[in-house]
Amino acid sequence: MEQFFQQLINGIVLGGIYALIAVGYTMVYGIIQLINFAHGEIFMLGAYIAFTLVMFFPIPLWVAILVSMLFCAGVGMLMDVVAYKPLRTAPRLSALITAIGVSIGLQNLARMIWGAKPQSFSEDTLPKFFQQINPLVEPTSFLNIFGVSFTENAIQFSEGVSLAYLDLTIIILAIVLMVGLNRLVSLTKIGKAMRACAQNRVAANLMGIKTNRVIAITFAIGSALGAVAGVMVGVRENISPLMGFHKGVAAFAAAVLGGIGNITGAMIGGLLMGLAEVFGAGYIDSFIEFVCNNIGLGQFYEDEKISHSYGSGYRVAISYIVMIIVILIRPTGLFGKSSAHRA
Amino acid sequence: MQNNKTPKQQNTALLKNIVNWLQTLFRSKNIIFWILICAFPLFTFLTDGISSMFSMLGINLTLPSGDYILYIGVQVCVYILLAIGLNIVCGYTGLLELGYVGFYLVGGYTAGLLMRHAGVPYWLILPIAVLNGALWGLIRGAPTLKLTGDYFAIVTFGFAEVLFRIVKNEIWLIRDINGFVKDIPRASVFVWELNQNWQHFYHILILTGLVIFVSYRLENSRIGRAWIAIREDEQAAASMGINVSRYKSLAFAISAAIGALGGAFLAQFWGTLSAKTFEFWESILILCMVILGGKGSIKGSIIGAIIIGSMSEVLREILLRFPPDYAGARYLIFGIILVLLMRFRPAGLIFKRS
Repeated sequence: MEQFFQQLINGIVLGGIYALIAVGYTMVYGIIQLINFAHGEIFMLGAYIAFTLVMFFPIPLWVAILVSMLFCAGVGMLMDVVAYKPLRTAPRLSALITAIGVSIGLQNLARMIWGAKPQSFSEDTLPKFFQQINPLVEPTSFLNIFGVSFTENAIQFSEGVSLAYLDLTIIILAIVLMVGLNRLVSLTKIGKAMRACAQNRVAANLMGIKTNRVIAITFAIGSALGAVAGVMVGVRENISPLMGFHKGVAAFAAAVLGGIGNITGAMIGGLLMGLAEVFGAGYIDSFIEFVCNNIGLGQFYEDEKISHSYGSGYRVAISYIVMIIVILIRPTGLFGKSSAHRA
Repeated sequence: MQNNKTPKQQNTALLKNIVNWLQTLFRSKNIIFWILICAFPLFTFLTDGISSMFSMLGINLTLPSGDYILYIGVQVCVYILLAIGLNIVCGYTGLLELGYVGFYLVGGYTAGLLMRHAGVPYWLILPIAVLNGALWGLIRGAPTLKLTGDYFAIVTFGFAEVLFRIVKNEIWLIRDINGFVKDIPRASVFVWELNQNWQHFYHILILTGLVIFVSYRLENSRIGRAWIAIREDEQAAASMGINVSRYKSLAFAISAAIGALGGAFLAQFWGTLSAKTFEFWESILILCMVILGGKGSIKGSIIGAIIIGSMSEVLREILLRFPPDYAGARYLIFGIILVLLMRFRPAGLIFKRS
């Protein structure tokens, strides 16, 4: 049961991250019906920019996050203007191929600049309460209420269940940004313009909305949120040129799951995808053992050591499988309109 | 779509077609081209000769060795084969396939595992791999028949990634970690093992020639016309009496079978398989070839494969001398090529007027 709760916490944190990335996919798709493959690379760039700033300049992490948000917003807008804008009237597959090209280009550019090896934020550049929990040192708790103890870098619910402050920050940040985005889209003038563009770009243009500017702003907002998620993943796990690809695909799957083009759907899809990945990776080993034992393959299972590391090996594949199943069974996703574009 | 010829008449018509085709193939203009291709291994010996001559004179030329050029030739031939296979789905039926590497993987591992662990001879493997590839093409194709556009692309991509993960993780199946299959025996003719690069070159030349022939014949047949009709307008094609699902499945199966053929050849050519070879980027590389040449054009695919395939191999060799992180520069260039092509020549360098 302890494992279950710990996995639940991990799943929610991962879900928050996926939701932040998925929003970028879904907003762009909603407006110009383009799967922006390069969004994952923006996420990766966000992590690297913050990493470089923190490592080489005496800048606190939160300033680095802000700078990286601004930088990524700029990159997103630039990408739109340079690569996608000339293709607005071209066949949609051309734009998709361009997006793949941009994605490969950025990924390998990052690999040339920062190296292919995964890197991580060094401990001294992070705030004290973000640092990794050292399992060897007994945590000193300075507050204890109802059996929940607050240690230097985590909230300890019980022996095996803890919520690191870093994870707590991710969850709070994700909720704040999501609510903010929701308010922005539903209350402000630019949000109204975005919704108008998503409904009918030509008509919106005729009504005096500068559609190109709205699209650029959409790219900027999506990229900035992606950058936040990137820095958070960078601090929590590590940074590598491939992180954008893996997390990006999972987040795209989340956006499809929630109904692509639908912002609330992307948030819930992200959360579900995070839970699916964590629980899938956590329980697939015992599940396969159970299945093998029950269909008479127990001996085979023992002999071949089938489940050496299914959890880590198939972790990435879970999101692909969920995505394929969603596309095949319900392409409009959980919350998509039934009349939504079926590409 | 009338079919009032008797089978015998059809057979003679087919024979006539083949004779016609052979005649055009060996017309005086083309014959020089064929001789040049068949003599390619000789030219590579020439570069060896030149560099040894110069070294006798005391000048040290750093020409690439003839064997290495031949190796690139073999790789490029494999790429031509794969590009033509991908062209069937991407070019004729007009669907964006992002998981072609999956079929190449299926062929490679069918051949590699059966040859290494079951000792099945290579010439028996080829049809098995091709059939297995076609089977996987159908398995992947069946649920995706209704999908078009980006969703089809994403599903194919996911499918290939899942296959990649399976090969990487199923140790009981592959019998090694990370999808390694080592010491795959080479193909042999009677008792002679094909282990020289020039032998491989002629081997793959025959296979590629066969695939090009099949592809040409398909393009100019009822099947090819049906595919192109589906590409242009699926609903109109269906209302004209074309069984869209059937023709799409056929395209998936044939394309996958060709991919598997390439994989089976590579398994014995390399002698070692590794999951790393079958990453997503390889699909993009082949897609790049098809798009560079122009979707739906066989000549385009061939030229695209020659340009990008040789560029990729040469760049790989050049980038090895740089710090290890520059290995990605190859793909950076392909990414830029894709973006520029879509911007300025979306129909490819050699496009067919429709």
